[in-house]
Amino acid sequence: MRVRGKGKEHGQEQKHKRDVIVTTIARLMIPFIQMYALYVMVGTEGAGGGFQGGVVFAASFVLFVTAFGITRGRRRLPESWNAALSSLGLYFYAGIGLLCIILSLFSAQYLNYGALPLWEIIGRPETRGLMITFVVEVGIAITVMAVFTSIFFDLAWKGEEDKEDNKEEGGE
Amino acid sequence: MLEWLIAEVFAKYNYWVSIVLMLIGFYAMIAKDNLMKKIIGLNIFQTAIILFFISLGDVSIGGWGGGVTEPIVKGALPWETGEGGAVYANPLPHVLMLTAIVVGAATTAVALALVIRLHEEYGTIEESEIIEKERERELP
Amino acid sequence: MIIPLDLIALFFLVVIALAAITVRDLLAAIVLLSAYSFIIATVWVEMHAVDVGFTEAAVGAGATTAFLIATLARTRRWEKR
Repeated sequence: MRVRGKGKEHGQEQKHKRDVIVTTIARLMIPFIQMYALYVMVGTEGAGGGFQGGVVFAASFVLFVTAFGITRGRRRLPESWNAALSSLGLYFYAGIGLLCIILSLFSAQYLNYGALPLWEIIGRPETRGLMITFVVEVGIAITVMAVFTSIFFDLAWKGEEDKEDNKEEGGE
Repeated sequence: MLEWLIAEVFAKYNYWVSIVLMLIGFYAMIAKDNLMKKIIGLNIFQTAIILFFISLGDVSIGGWGGGVTEPIVKGALPWETGEGGAVYANPLPHVLMLTAIVVGAATTAVALALVIRLHEEYGTIEESEIIEKERERELP
Repeated sequence: MIIPLDLIALFFLVVIALAAITVRDLLAAIVLLSAYSFIIATVWVEMHAVDVGFTEAAVGAGATTAFLIATLARTRRWEKR
């Protein structure tokens, strides 16, 4: 009981004391952090970086929540979006694998990138795995971003949920 | 004797620091009463183990000296350099420890969720007080 | 491996680890753990494990610190003795 009361107090205090320096710096920094996350994800030639890019992208959401409060953060990234995004990456990965079977007319195995007829489109045969790696990286990054922001929201959430709990208890 | 000491003890100081950090983390996990301190000890323990593995992969400790490069193979293979190739760090422990870092973050998140639940239930995060309240709850 | 940098970084690692488990303010302990993660990321980069260093700087010093501070906001800040 004491905990919930304290959380409500803290939430109100948070709403009133919004520092202008913190919000301005967050507004300035968040686009650059997200560009850097995109660079880490797909900016370099080669595999790897999906997980790290996703974590950096999640860090931008953590900065948003730190600067603007958790209710506004939840409005920007609702929980239903979180659930959808955290499974979207898996669908990207599995879909690329299935695409290998379908586009090679059932002659190649699952996730056999070499069988995709993409090199006719791109032109250079040595880069045919690269575009597929980009899709896989983006899928991994979306999943990691959704899961890390979800964990952070669940650990830090104490706003409206607590008010609803208090209402229910008061009604009883 | 001195040469043995230098070659086997002082030259492998990474392993000794890794053992010291491991013991610091282990002490925090066992002896500290606060649950957050236990989680901090867990993180230190994990990084000590990762330090041990990365030191295993860094071949410059084992007497290769300088000239060791990152395990990025482009331009460092024997037929590219023409002089027997470059000596690069073993990438296998790197990959293993990359997984260990990710698993460590997930473990920390689960431990923190448990700490929040315990604080909601008992109103404290000190282990001795939680045990006391649990005993009081069972007694009557 | 650059031996003087390695020695200095490992010395500070031990000092910061001891300080992080000794200090009674848990917020200070968490910030010290973040500094610990950054220094150990430096150690790994100069030990030629660049990917591990980058992941540690993102996950250990960024995400784990955010999780710990989010937990601390819902529990209490000071450790009883």
